[in-house]
Amino acid sequence: MHKSRRAFLAGVGAAGAAGLAGCSGFELQSGNREPPLVENRPDGVYVPTHTEGMGMASMQSDGGYSCALTYSFPHRFWTITGSDTTMVEVGNSDALHLMPIVWHSETGIVPSDVNPTVDISRDGESVVDGLSPWPMLAQRMGFHFGDNVELPEQGEYDVTVSIGEGGNRRTGSLADAGAAEFEFTLDYQLSELNDLPFEDIPPARQGTLGAVQPMQMDMVPLMQAPTEDELPGTVRGTAESGDAQFVVTTIDDAGAFGDDADQQHLAVSAHTPYNRYPIPLMSLSATVTRDGETVFDGYLNEWQDGDLGIHYGALLDTVKEGDELTITVDSPPQVSRHEGYETAFLNMSDATLTL
Amino acid sequence: MSDSYGIDRREFVKAAVAIGGASALSACLDRGPEIDVPRGPEDPASAFPERQHAWNAALPTDDAGNNHHPRHRVLLPLSYGDGMPTDAERETVEAALAGLERAYERSAAGLLLTVSYSPYYFDRFDESLPESVDLPEPRALADFEDPDADDIDAIVHLASDHGEVVMGAEEALKGEVDELNGVSQPDASLTDVFTLGERRTGFIGDGLPAENQDVDGVPDDGPVPEDAPLYMGFESAFQGNQPGEDRVTIQSGPFAGGTTQQLSTLTLNLKQWYEQDSRDQRVSKMFCPHHASEGTVEGTGENLGTDPQMDDCGDPTETARSEGVVGHGQKMVDVREDDAPIILRRDFDSTDQDRAGVHFLSLQRTIEDFVTTREAMNGDDVASNSAVGQRTNNGILQYIDTVRRGNFLIPPRSLRALPPANPADDAAENAEVAHA
Repeated sequence: MHKSRRAFLAGVGAAGAAGLAGCSGFELQSGNREPPLVENRPDGVYVPTHTEGMGMASMQSDGGYSCALTYSFPHRFWTITGSDTTMVEVGNSDALHLMPIVWHSETGIVPSDVNPTVDISRDGESVVDGLSPWPMLAQRMGFHFGDNVELPEQGEYDVTVSIGEGGNRRTGSLADAGAAEFEFTLDYQLSELNDLPFEDIPPARQGTLGAVQPMQMDMVPLMQAPTEDELPGTVRGTAESGDAQFVVTTIDDAGAFGDDADQQHLAVSAHTPYNRYPIPLMSLSATVTRDGETVFDGYLNEWQDGDLGIHYGALLDTVKEGDELTITVDSPPQVSRHEGYETAFLNMSDATLTL
Repeated sequence: MSDSYGIDRREFVKAAVAIGGASALSACLDRGPEIDVPRGPEDPASAFPERQHAWNAALPTDDAGNNHHPRHRVLLPLSYGDGMPTDAERETVEAALAGLERAYERSAAGLLLTVSYSPYYFDRFDESLPESVDLPEPRALADFEDPDADDIDAIVHLASDHGEVVMGAEEALKGEVDELNGVSQPDASLTDVFTLGERRTGFIGDGLPAENQDVDGVPDDGPVPEDAPLYMGFESAFQGNQPGEDRVTIQSGPFAGGTTQQLSTLTLNLKQWYEQDSRDQRVSKMFCPHHASEGTVEGTGENLGTDPQMDDCGDPTETARSEGVVGHGQKMVDVREDDAPIILRRDFDSTDQDRAGVHFLSLQRTIEDFVTTREAMNGDDVASNSAVGQRTNNGILQYIDTVRRGNFLIPPRSLRALPPANPADDAAENAEVAHA
């Protein structure tokens, strides 16, 4: 109960204020059972302490998108600003780790240029209002949005997930997808949450270089970056930086990425090792030199494309065999990290490749 | 009076403002100590400036030279209904407003007020608003927002350092009190002409957010700093970050001397802000990464005096490229004119609906000036060209949700009672000259 209101009511005993005196409810055990972090974590993708299963309220479609409202145990994660990470511990009142997974229905792309907004209410009363969850990278799910949320009690909640217009670097039908809104009923029951799989990883494996397997869910696409074989264009090879893989391809007709079809689109598919998840929200730039002369020096901007997936690209006049490409990471990925990714993709040196 | 009694009393008064009504007012007055507010003049019309929004001259400045913001606020939404205003109704509205002005001195310790009108109000007239007034209907101003339109006809903004004053003024406008601060009130009330909508309340000033943080949207452990003037924990409306009133005043036409008022209702999600970000992250996002790495901001930022030193922050896109984050203040630098913003902030925090929120109220010469400012805050180009996301690390966009937007015209004082859409030009110009 709000202190000021209590003081006020004590002073007034007034009718009319009674309706405002609702108590905030009781707190449930969050069910947090995360083991302690691995000691001496490596500076790279590593095997975490445990894996968690995931539940799903339902899946809805609207406006070219689909959305699955999924959840897991509340768990620690790391926010990031620049290269500085902040560990977020599970709060006493956290009920769930809530993940509204929004993907473009036709291409399966989980777009990185829109932030979903989440509203939660119970019996018409707002519980969470206008929450903008963090963009995140998790070993079992890849790129998604999520946050630990507090729910006052067990029971049914109405959840609305909405997204607005996307950014201006989309191709094909992705560019046509507009705003969308999805309505869910979430039945939060501690017993059901606790029935989700929760598996400790053997201590000998914890903290070793590697990653746990991606999770397959019915109806929800797993967004992985295309393999080299699947990538369109002329695949030029793979470079590495800070544990991230940069697969480089050139698309001869850059019409979809700019006005000039005579130019080439130099595309960098940046993905995690092991699970091949796309890594969005980096500042990348590139130089291309030919015979010691710089023929390109500019940003690689983040694009959403059905065939290339989330990738970084720039328009070039022509790429020639033997050109030297240097990819510079001006900012590491500004995605929050689940355990096993928080020490990776931070110190990212220049990556070079001969085209 | 002990400190704890003082804080209890402050909380009590703020809670009374939030709840409102005659019983809250009388409880507040009963609980004393009696406040001593000087009365206003017998004839406010001849004593008060033509600009309703000319508050600065009536506001003290703090030690650093920043204008003090009246600590307690009430916004009273008014619906006129169908039909055309009559002269008799104009006299009623004017009489009701003038009653307040005779009761309380026009100052922060007394009462400051404006009355403003929406495009929905002006729609009823055959004539359009003159070209010198830019007052479109409100709309969404970011790809990720979907606000309701604030489609009321008019809104009264009451501001005072004393909660009892804004509550008393409200009751008088509703015709609930015969006497206010010892001054007898006219029979006329706003409710003779308008239907009252759901009142909105708020507060601003050191201590008040911390004392009122037990609401949804703020973590339970009370993270708002004790001396912060706003929920997000930092000083905000630095004098060096505010334009003069001239810059936001309409210069010509029948509404010269007026201004436009943009009013957004924002909800805050400060669990992320206080529990999931570090202080450096908060400083980076509110000011800029330079201020975080250099330790420029101490505490709430009071050490910055009147100047948040935005010139040190650098170009927003370059910062976003290299640091992965861009500051809220930093993004606003480009919309400055003569080294000052083009909107005048008179916003305040709120616990309406028991949740942490902001009534973001700003004054500007044209609503377009607000749109320009808000677009800079969106940082679309910055996000498009860097690691910064649509809302992630993009200033403070992640923590704020715009649930309602409204646009209003604050006419000059002589036209504040149910103005027509296009009053005779010469009358208003004469009035502005007379009171400039």
